[in-house]
Amino acid sequence: MSSKKTPSFFTLSGAEGSQPMTYQRFTLLAVFVFLGLSFVAQINYDSWRRYTPPKLIGIDYNVYIEPQPLSPSLAKAVSFGSTEFLADYYWLTLIQYYGGGTPNGKYRKLAELFNVVTDLSPRFVQAYQTGLIILPGEGFPDEAIALGEKGKKSLPDSWEMPYYTGLVYHIYKKDFVSAAKEFQIAATKKDAPPITQYFAGIYYKEADQRQLAYQIFKTVHETTKDDFVRERSGKQLLHLEMTFFLEDAVAKYRQQFGRYPASPQDLVTKKIIKEVPVSPLGVGFAIDTQTGAVSEAKR
Amino acid sequence: MKYKVLWAITLNTFRETLRDKLLYSLVGFAVLVIAASLLAGSVSLGQDARVIQDFSLTAMLVFLLIITYFIGTQLVFKEVERKTIYLVLSKPVSRETFYLGKFFGLCLTILVAGLIMAAMFLIVLYAKTHSVPVAAYFAVGAIILEAWLLTAVSLLFSSFTSPLSSAIYTFGVTLIGHGSATVWLLSQKASPVMRGILEGVYYLFPNLEKFNLRNDVVFNLSPDGTQVGLILLYFVGYTAFLLILGVAVFRKDEF
Repeated sequence: MSSKKTPSFFTLSGAEGSQPMTYQRFTLLAVFVFLGLSFVAQINYDSWRRYTPPKLIGIDYNVYIEPQPLSPSLAKAVSFGSTEFLADYYWLTLIQYYGGGTPNGKYRKLAELFNVVTDLSPRFVQAYQTGLIILPGEGFPDEAIALGEKGKKSLPDSWEMPYYTGLVYHIYKKDFVSAAKEFQIAATKKDAPPITQYFAGIYYKEADQRQLAYQIFKTVHETTKDDFVRERSGKQLLHLEMTFFLEDAVAKYRQQFGRYPASPQDLVTKKIIKEVPVSPLGVGFAIDTQTGAVSEAKR
Repeated sequence: MKYKVLWAITLNTFRETLRDKLLYSLVGFAVLVIAASLLAGSVSLGQDARVIQDFSLTAMLVFLLIITYFIGTQLVFKEVERKTIYLVLSKPVSRETFYLGKFFGLCLTILVAGLIMAAMFLIVLYAKTHSVPVAAYFAVGAIILEAWLLTAVSLLFSSFTSPLSSAIYTFGVTLIGHGSATVWLLSQKASPVMRGILEGVYYLFPNLEKFNLRNDVVFNLSPDGTQVGLILLYFVGYTAFLLILGVAVFRKDEF
């Protein structure tokens, strides 16, 4: 009976047998309620930040979800010597950023992040490799090439740097001469795969630098220890020899008839050559009637 | 100076710091952070070894320095505040012995704490990569040397200011010491007068970047004999300078 007189607790329902609401219980309840409230708010805030279109005029929405890396020189200064640690931090940030998807188009900070990571850790091979592979596809081919150049300076013994840079030149710039040059550099490095120099030959061929391509295939054919590469480069050599043979025939044809032949078959019918050679690469030959250039026939 | 007395004070200081709950929480937290580097490594696109090494060694340095700041700056101050220093100094114990005993005692604590953290680091690294680069041992050693040098700095400051201010000053010295390359770069671009001042700062403040072998661990680049020799020489020279200066100040202190 005495409990009725003490106002130190109250009951929520007043029903018989209900638990009295002591101060401690109230505190405990309040802690959970407010913790839950902050949790709900946090979840909603995150989804608002990521998926709601910007409402503020003049403020770039992406700023909220994009990483904002420091400039490399500032990052170096504030790392106080722990440059590799900071590089790792930005590396993890980069992975989260790229893996998280971008709801608003382009990964604008991607090149900047690769730059800061490799400036902080100039010998981080995987960072260069990853950058050279993903940057061009995200619309940063020039930045990727700059990254490759930096990698070549920082890691002069690595064949990967010129190799991947060459791929960027090929795939995103269609600049076969530059690609071939990069592959030639890569081929001089220790541990470079045997096929590297073969690729240099292919690129020179693509860029119509056939004599150069021929020389490279010849070197590859004579020096490589890789059976596959020797076989392929042998076929390329044969193919190029056939091309040169046809070019000579086209020149003779023009001397005789004052015009270029319409097809390789023309050379046979006019008795310039006995038969059209069959390329070991499985492609036919075509002749440009305007310039007389011999090229691979489009399949 | 009696070495027996020095050893007694060293051992007592070590015991005193071991009773400090702060030490346990710091060592515990450092071990936790080192273990957590496993998690960070798992989201690093196959760069586990790299992330574990960088994160753990940085965590080791940071936590050892926090121990230096907060325990090192309190040692002498506590004795003065509790007036226990009278009891000691009234015995045949010189002030030099007292001061040096405090220094060596804390060095012992830092060594033990550092070895616990290093053991955790090496276990985590070995469990993940099944190899431990030799450079890691050098980096751990250099981190402990750096913490010892900063212990001498914090003792020097605490001999004439309050613990909080000496912790802040020691932190400042740490930043300047690790920013020494930046200081040098600035000095080369500055006007002649400013250049003189900045070069003075460069040579006067401890050049802590010498003890930074952490960045080479990832590439397993061990320091060569000359480098190790010069690091040790620098450590001995600079620490002796700080201790002599500290003892000189401490001798003039009045309690």
